[in-house]
Amino acid sequence: MTNEITPEYKKAVLTVLYQLADDDYLFSYRGSEWLGLAPHIEEDVAFSSITQDTMGHAKLYYTLLEELGEGSADSLAQLRPKEERCNSLLVERPNGEGYYKEAPNYDWGYAVARNYIYTTAKKAKIDALKASSYAPIREVAVKISTELYYHQMHWTTWFTQLCTATEESRSRMMKALQEVIKDAGDLLSFGKSVKHITACELIESEVAIKERWLAIVTPTFEAVEIAIPVLPDPIINGRDGQHTDDLTSAIETMSEVYRSDLAASW
Amino acid sequence: MEKQSFYQEFEVFSKRTPTSNFQHQFSLLAPNGEMALVMAQENFMRREPVVDIWVVNRKHLHGLTQVNKQALQRLDNKDYRTTKGYGYLKKKWRHYEQVMLDEKEILSWGGGGKKDDK
Amino acid sequence: MSVVTQLSEQELQEQFEARIAAGEKIEVDDWMPEEYRLALIKLISMHGISEIMGALPEKEWVPKAPTLYRKLGIMAKVQDEMGHGQLLLRVAEDLLKPYGKNRGDLMIDLFEGRLKFHNVFHMETKSWGDAGLIGWLVDGSAIISQTNMLGSSYGPYARALQRICAEEVFHAQHGEAIIMALVEGTPEQRALVQDALNRWWESLLFFFGPASKDTTGTSKQDITIKYKIRVQTNEELRQSFLSKYIPRIQSIGLTVPDPTLHFDEAQNKWIYQEPNWEIFKKIQRNEGPCSQERLALRRSSYENNAWVREALTALVN
Repeated sequence: MTNEITPEYKKAVLTVLYQLADDDYLFSYRGSEWLGLAPHIEEDVAFSSITQDTMGHAKLYYTLLEELGEGSADSLAQLRPKEERCNSLLVERPNGEGYYKEAPNYDWGYAVARNYIYTTAKKAKIDALKASSYAPIREVAVKISTELYYHQMHWTTWFTQLCTATEESRSRMMKALQEVIKDAGDLLSFGKSVKHITACELIESEVAIKERWLAIVTPTFEAVEIAIPVLPDPIINGRDGQHTDDLTSAIETMSEVYRSDLAASW
Repeated sequence: MEKQSFYQEFEVFSKRTPTSNFQHQFSLLAPNGEMALVMAQENFMRREPVVDIWVVNRKHLHGLTQVNKQALQRLDNKDYRTTKGYGYLKKKWRHYEQVMLDEKEILSWGGGGKKDDK
Repeated sequence: MSVVTQLSEQELQEQFEARIAAGEKIEVDDWMPEEYRLALIKLISMHGISEIMGALPEKEWVPKAPTLYRKLGIMAKVQDEMGHGQLLLRVAEDLLKPYGKNRGDLMIDLFEGRLKFHNVFHMETKSWGDAGLIGWLVDGSAIISQTNMLGSSYGPYARALQRICAEEVFHAQHGEAIIMALVEGTPEQRALVQDALNRWWESLLFFFGPASKDTTGTSKQDITIKYKIRVQTNEELRQSFLSKYIPRIQSIGLTVPDPTLHFDEAQNKWIYQEPNWEIFKKIQRNEGPCSQERLALRRSSYENNAWVREALTALVN
């Protein structure tokens, strides 16, 4: 219960919230770079709704952190240096070569594969959070899952169609999937605090969530006749603050204006 | 035969509430119905409630040409088809000290007979 | 099957003009003179592609927007611009059918310079102040020019504009909110807005186009007015913009960078320093400050992922 939490329990709550918030925030940031550049106008519009929804989800988590005394949601999202971030490697990877304003060479196949894997993993976690011992997390999970259904349907449709349309699109998707899975080692990990988090019953065990994820993706992979990917061991673990320079440049861009005057109201 | 195109035209219809009719929204381009469905709501109903969506490939729609729209015209002489042609009953029923069962009255009977209990 | 004998071209033209005169709405499958169809195609395809191109300058500020709320707001706004492009291009594409052209052909026309995009979207955005100013004044101008065509004789265009204008109300307020926060903020924040206004003023005057074709050699306003596609002339629209926005600009303490600007009671109109229409003509030739860069971005995004559209033609149903 919120009113009688021990410092140990609170620490576990914060760890979980930072992971959830940073994941959705970075995922949404990558989506926002795509805005206006999707292969089809109608899809651009639909994709942006998903990006906005996801930033809304990040905001829900950052607001819970704010309520726990961690600082304002805006500064949590924008000012924390890379070492303090808990997002997975997958969401910090750039969309492709090139800066979003100049000549980005973004690959839609990679976007679809990443968004499909990320969204199904998110679904597995959100379902697991519905039984969290921390009521505010439970409530947020229920809220988020209402919008997540559409995200999952959207990316499953794209993933399935591109994997089955032509030989070329299939081979592009297989390659993209490989890229994505290579980075997905920490996606369903809780990092070094895993025991503490699970002991506090904030979320199910990593193994149980992986089971949930497999149950979600198996029908799709069977339908497209592609072997279900095996999530590797993490190369680096974002949950423990291990990140690439891609995250540094993302943080610089996202906070450029905000950072220009921290005391100002924007 | 025409070359297959990614740009298939789909007409989008949606229902705002469970009791409302489907309403035409707009059209979008998509390669197939599944894709049209996952784009429809966010393209045309981002700011309003929706409870259901239909997408229809335009090649399955049949409409009237401008000339054939003349087939829709008719004379204004069909009172016998509407309540307008039976308005005189009001006076008749008044004579028998009864009220006329007009549209407003009859359609109000849908409330599970509650009105009769009065 | 039609049971009516064919009317002559002459009778069709007369019937069409009578419908326009009676304020009837023309629909896509109705007979229309080629002059009307071509005017609509030119106007609406340019309007539609401008929305798609217009997403690019604003999109530059989407990842950088200062707060979560502003990030969400500008994302929703740019999404709407893409959505407006979708609505308008659908209308244009239906008109293009008799010529066997589709959206892909429109994109090629854009890349090869046959289809122009609006002059205001060839300009550079340098600061968050620009993002606010675009939302406030460029969108304000767009609202004035689009509401001018809400009663368009072409039904599908009027319906698309109805949807668009409803969303523009949100855009206007979104822009005002950014500007309001900045002008009520620190001196540096205020300066961002004044600087943006100084740099964008000429573009705002260009926005509605030249007063007459004497200025630049061409103008499509005559034919669109003749066929009741629009009501007011370019200059009337610009005057209406000045009347609505100058008092608001001044009320929040900003200075219009034109010392000659004033309202002349006798002539009942705003007198302003004419912008350099030579620059306007250059922009129209895709020689504006960011014309080529934006076209390149649009082209690469279209071509990089051409494989997606090609692949999915295998799944057409």
